[in-house]
Amino acid sequence: MNEEGKSLLEARGLSRHFVVRAGGTIIRKKRIVRAVDDVSLDLRAGRVTAVVGESGSGKSVLARMLARIVAPTSGELVLDGSPVAIKQKRTLAYASKVQLVLQDPFASVNPVHRIRHSLERPLLIHGAAKTDVESLSESVLARVSLDPPSRYLDRYPHELSGGQLQRVSIARALCVKPQVLLADEPISMLDVSVRLGVLNLLRGLCDEERLAVLYITHDIASARYIADEIVVMYAGQVVEQSKGTRLIDEPAHPYTRLLIASVPDPAALTRDQVKGEHAFTGAAVSEGCRFYPRCPHAMEICRTSEPPMSEVGEGHMARCWLHSYTSEVSSGALTVRQRGGTVSKQ
Amino acid sequence: MSTSSLPRAPHHDVAPSDETALTSAKPESNDLVLEVKDFSVDYGWGERAVRAVRNVDLDVHRSQVLGIAGESGSGKSTLVYAVTRLLRSPAVITGGDARLFLEADKDIGSDARTLDLLGASERELRSIRWSQVSIVLQSALNALNPVLRISAEFDEVLRTHRRDMNRHQRRARAVELLELVGLNEDRLARFPHELSGGQRQRIMIALALALDPQLVIMDEPTTALDVVTQREIIGELRDLRARFGFAMIFITHDLALLVEIADEIAVMYAGTIVERAPAASLHDAPRHPYTLGLLNSSPPLHGEHRELVGIPGSPPDLAQSLVGCSFRARCPYALERCAREAPPLVGIEDGGRMVACWLHDGSPTNLPEPLRRKASPTARDDLAPRAAKEVRS
Ligand SMILES: Nc1ncnc2c1ncn2[C@@H]1O[C@H](COP(=O)(O)OP(=O)(O)O)[C@@H](O)[C@H]1O
Ligand SMILES: Nc1ncnc2c1ncn2[C@@H]1O[C@H](COP(=O)(O)OP(=O)(O)O)[C@@H](O)[C@H]1O
Ligand code: SF4
Ligand SMILES: [Mg+2]
Ligand SMILES: [Mg+2]
Repeated sequence: MNEEGKSLLEARGLSRHFVVRAGGTIIRKKRIVRAVDDVSLDLRAGRVTAVVGESGSGKSVLARMLARIVAPTSGELVLDGSPVAIKQKRTLAYASKVQLVLQDPFASVNPVHRIRHSLERPLLIHGAAKTDVESLSESVLARVSLDPPSRYLDRYPHELSGGQLQRVSIARALCVKPQVLLADEPISMLDVSVRLGVLNLLRGLCDEERLAVLYITHDIASARYIADEIVVMYAGQVVEQSKGTRLIDEPAHPYTRLLIASVPDPAALTRDQVKGEHAFTGAAVSEGCRFYPRCPHAMEICRTSEPPMSEVGEGHMARCWLHSYTSEVSSGALTVRQRGGTVSKQ
Repeated sequence: MSTSSLPRAPHHDVAPSDETALTSAKPESNDLVLEVKDFSVDYGWGERAVRAVRNVDLDVHRSQVLGIAGESGSGKSTLVYAVTRLLRSPAVITGGDARLFLEADKDIGSDARTLDLLGASERELRSIRWSQVSIVLQSALNALNPVLRISAEFDEVLRTHRRDMNRHQRRARAVELLELVGLNEDRLARFPHELSGGQRQRIMIALALALDPQLVIMDEPTTALDVVTQREIIGELRDLRARFGFAMIFITHDLALLVEIADEIAVMYAGTIVERAPAASLHDAPRHPYTLGLLNSSPPLHGEHRELVGIPGSPPDLAQSLVGCSFRARCPYALERCAREAPPLVGIEDGGRMVACWLHDGSPTNLPEPLRRKASPTARDDLAPRAAKEVRS
């Protein structure tokens, strides 16, 4: 087992750009979508890192780059201390150390085969002996609390509920004894009532087996529940990041506040003003802050220059001019102090 | 007026004749839009039938938002599709009554009337679908025709139901509808694949409102969307409801979300309603262990970190005959009696609360603490929209 806190997979300045044809019925211009732009992450043994952002913020592209299914445009990956040759094909060894679990278990577990088949295949590919696969399959089902395992092996996917099937797809990822588990919105297709079961399972694997877990979600409340570190992504960039749940208790970036205000919370009496720009289409190249068109606190500088990532507290970074302006500014409703100062409503 | 003698199973397959339509000239209630009584739906026949909806009672009042909550498979979609007669074989309505109370509608020159939904002819159903009762289906995100521009969808609906409108009027109405849901008119020229999930869902909502219906049914309209888009759409629906005063049935598995939008909530489990209460009371003071479990399934944004368990286990197989309380196997408080007898849905306390749980059969002081809490009467008014306050018309 890995030593707690040891870096297992590190991403340094990872970017992925796509060239797409821009809309418009007559003139079709090429446009570059910066789906993921200069993102760095460190996934450590026994830690859950959450990446939070709404649809289109680049979370899945990031996860696929970490799983090496999508090639980065630039950046580096370091697996368990050794640099990864990004330009070359993914090796079987890499695949067995880094496993990806997807959002929809009904789409990711083959519907025509029994559960047995879905588990045996990866075991055999990664070199298990034929005589062992049955007992290995059972032990992996037991690890995801499908009990008794023998009852599930001969079932078909449609005979299981969404929550049970998501456990199967996690079990399948565990077959090859990975060190890093990337879970791309593993609960968003599941019923609210079974989501906690899957979150507790991921947390348990992380604590008991010292896996490094990347938990991707659009629901910041679930990130608070499970994560040791939270990274907020918007339009391909990291806009806020903190250890623990600091960024939820004291959000610095207006986008993080929007994510918090969006969580269904019958107990909350006041809500941040949400200025919706529904036509927003993702990581468009523009100058200034990418959140500028939707930000309720936007200032002139936000339109013209991109804010840098700056420290707002211990282990707490945010990419917002409200927190990195060199002198004291006030923008209507807000008074802001430089670096680490709190944002307070007047 | 009882309709229980009407031939029913499997009446969706039999082309109904127009003579079977039962409408009476006068609305029987000024306040109700929809009344469903003792309603049951099976999939299939005989021993192996899946009893998807069992003996459900439901009323929806004018301008009210009724929420229906429950896990997948609890019968929410089956219930509303059967009531509006959209279900096809092998679904069979095995019993019950469903009546729609329509106000006079000057747009189409109709008088106030009561429509027996289960007896109505296909032609009558067509005349009220969309114009009086509209439904946003669970799979709505894929419901738009991929080869049609959005403008064509609006045009089609308006051309069919508003024959007097000319092309320019239809276009103007479409633009107006898009504005209602916060979309720019340039979306009209787009194809569905050029729009985000949230935009497509807004189009579906705009289409549902196109003919000014009296009742709008939304089946999990935000389940496939991220929380930010969900929050925006919920806000828009609240505003639209307040502005136009339509009644709404809002279905979701997310009870926390429902508490924000609904006036009243019915919680479904394994085909039956297990609790029904005003939204705020249900949130503050749940009475059924399943409701409590659903409320404890959303991780909180505030407070100490503590381990939560959700609701371990899964719902029963509806093809098996159920003895006792259907929630028993997952219930942390189950009594010996729960294994033998099914608890009926009965009124408790004042304020029109209903619950189906044996724990409430005895003295309230014997209740487990979490099911004994009092609803806080203060400061909750500005939370869920209360119909009477917001509707301006
Ligand atoms: N193969 C692709 N070609 C072009 N654009 C893409 C491709 N894959 C993803 N994108 C774009 O990258 C952005 C991020 O997408 P994604 O990572 O799927 O977001 P998320 O998972 O956060 O919802 C989106 O704007 C999306 O349209
Ligand atoms: N076509 C069908 N044939 C047989 N059973 C069905 C069919 N459609 C739904 N069911 C069953 O009916 C029950 C209720 O389903 P549904 O109304 O879709 O629930 P919900 O909308 O609450 O998720 C489920 O147990 C489901 O498996
Ligand atoms: S930098 Fe400016 S525009 Fe960007 S989030 Fe901060 S305040 Fe808003
Ligand atoms: Mg994604
Ligand atoms: Mg449904």
